Amino acid sequence: MITFEHVSKRYPGGATALQGVDFSLGAGEMAFVTGHSGAGKSTLLRLILMIERASRGQVLVNGRNLSKTPMNQAPQVRRRIGMIFQDHKLLSDKSVFDNVALPLLIAGMRYTDIRKRVRAALDKVGLLDKERAWPLALSGGEQQRVGIARAIVAMPPILLADEPTGNLDPDLSRDLFGLFRQVNAQGVTVLIASHDLSLIREMGQRVLVLSGGRLIDDIPAGITGARRA
Amino acid sequence: MSRSSLSRRVRSWGRRQLYSLFSSIGTLVSHKLATLMTVLVLGIAMALPLGLFVAVENLRAVDLRQGDWGSITVFLTAEAGEVGAQALAAAAASKGGASLRLISPEEGMEEFTLASGFGQAADIFAENPLPWVAVLSPAAGGDLQIDAWVSDWEAWLAGREGIDLVQIDHKWVQRLAGFLALGNAMITVLTVLFSLAVIVVVANTIRLDVANRTEEIEVMSMVGASNDFIRQPFLYSGFWYGLLGAVLALVLLSAAMLYLQGPLERLLEAYGNQYSLKGLGMRRGGVALLLGALLGFAGAWLAVQRHLRLLAHGRRIGR
Repeated sequence: MITFEHVSKRYPGGATALQGVDFSLGAGEMAFVTGHSGAGKSTLLRLILMIERASRGQVLVNGRNLSKTPMNQAPQVRRRIGMIFQDHKLLSDKSVFDNVALPLLIAGMRYTDIRKRVRAALDKVGLLDKERAWPLALSGGEQQRVGIARAIVAMPPILLADEPTGNLDPDLSRDLFGLFRQVNAQGVTVLIASHDLSLIREMGQRVLVLSGGRLIDDIPAGITGARRA
Repeated sequence: MSRSSLSRRVRSWGRRQLYSLFSSIGTLVSHKLATLMTVLVLGIAMALPLGLFVAVENLRAVDLRQGDWGSITVFLTAEAGEVGAQALAAAAASKGGASLRLISPEEGMEEFTLASGFGQAADIFAENPLPWVAVLSPAAGGDLQIDAWVSDWEAWLAGREGIDLVQIDHKWVQRLAGFLALGNAMITVLTVLFSLAVIVVVANTIRLDVANRTEEIEVMSMVGASNDFIRQPFLYSGFWYGLLGAVLALVLLSAAMLYLQGPLERLLEAYGNQYSLKGLGMRRGGVALLLGALLGFAGAWLAVQRHLRLLAHGRRIGR
């Protein structure tokens, strides 16, 4: 589903964010990307979203070679990826419902269908009763769940998350990761950038470890969870 | 591509347009005061050239009504008398293109006493000193050039006997035509200047709007909105600004005319004239609305073109 082949990313000005990164994430797989700040986690996600382009190597997403995809097709690529941000990136002047509906509005879906899909997504994250609320009236954990509802509402085959638990306490973080696992159980490929090591260990999923822009470890699923047990 | 998939695409395109339309209206409504001020500036800017246009159009209408401003007054010699006057009338009728009115010395004196207020004027003179007078004016219904008409008849009259004096009143017409031409040129200048002003005002408003909604644009871009989709609500906003500005300009114009109508009527009455102001009319009003909307759209397009390029493809996301 997501394949990196010898991917390097050098920003203008000389900073090297990624260097010779190789990995492949199959359809329906779930994995974490971890590492210190500046290790290249965000850059990796940005390459998948076509916010940045690889300086070298190839990034394949949903069977599409992004290195050979023109920039004006980035919207099509992004419509098939659900993205979750550390700071939620909800629109504060729109209701929870309208925030979640955004990807469907962009797709030009009928309003009756939008209603159905948005309510289903909000139900999945346990916020059905908050559809008329404003994002700022919600707690941090609730806001992040609205962000997840928005990411899954269009039923993309891939879900990306950039430090989704960055501002949450451990219990809320655990709930959130449980939510990701549920989404993954429905066949969605999930890739989460996080430096919450203890929680990642608990989850027992595959972990990609970045350091200084290099992929220094690729721990298969089951090992981390087992180590804890 | 199958037909059903094409029609599905068209329908979702239509739904996206509708969404942009309503979201642009929503933005304008949610910032009432800012919208009002922008529309006020645009309305005033558009009202100025429109006002001048209406003023010039009304002057032109006055010109058309005053056919005698293009008239030629012919004073016959005393010797020619009534015989000469009738001969002139017959000759003019056979030449055609003018209506001729003969004023006998008696009628002239009557008119003079009435107009001057010297009731006893006639009594002063032992005998009526006024000559026969013929007033030539352009025949009604013709779409003629006053200048050409006047010089034609001037030449014709020069060759005739029994004429004491030919007085031509068309200097007035020439001057008025000069003023009207100047007015038209000023309309052009004002229209160009204020159209630029409208474009700049809308562009600046939309630029601020884009800057205020950077975050929203980033999010939209991240969830797969194309540049067109992001651009549309701003373009629609520009369209609404222009249209509302034009509506306000027409309202201002109507109010100004209503206010001027009274004093103008009194003024013209003093000149023994009756005239009621003419507005833009439906068709020209419609053109003004359309033009305003287009200018607003153009301003928004300029702003969005410049500004969204800087935000293209969400380059600022996640930094």
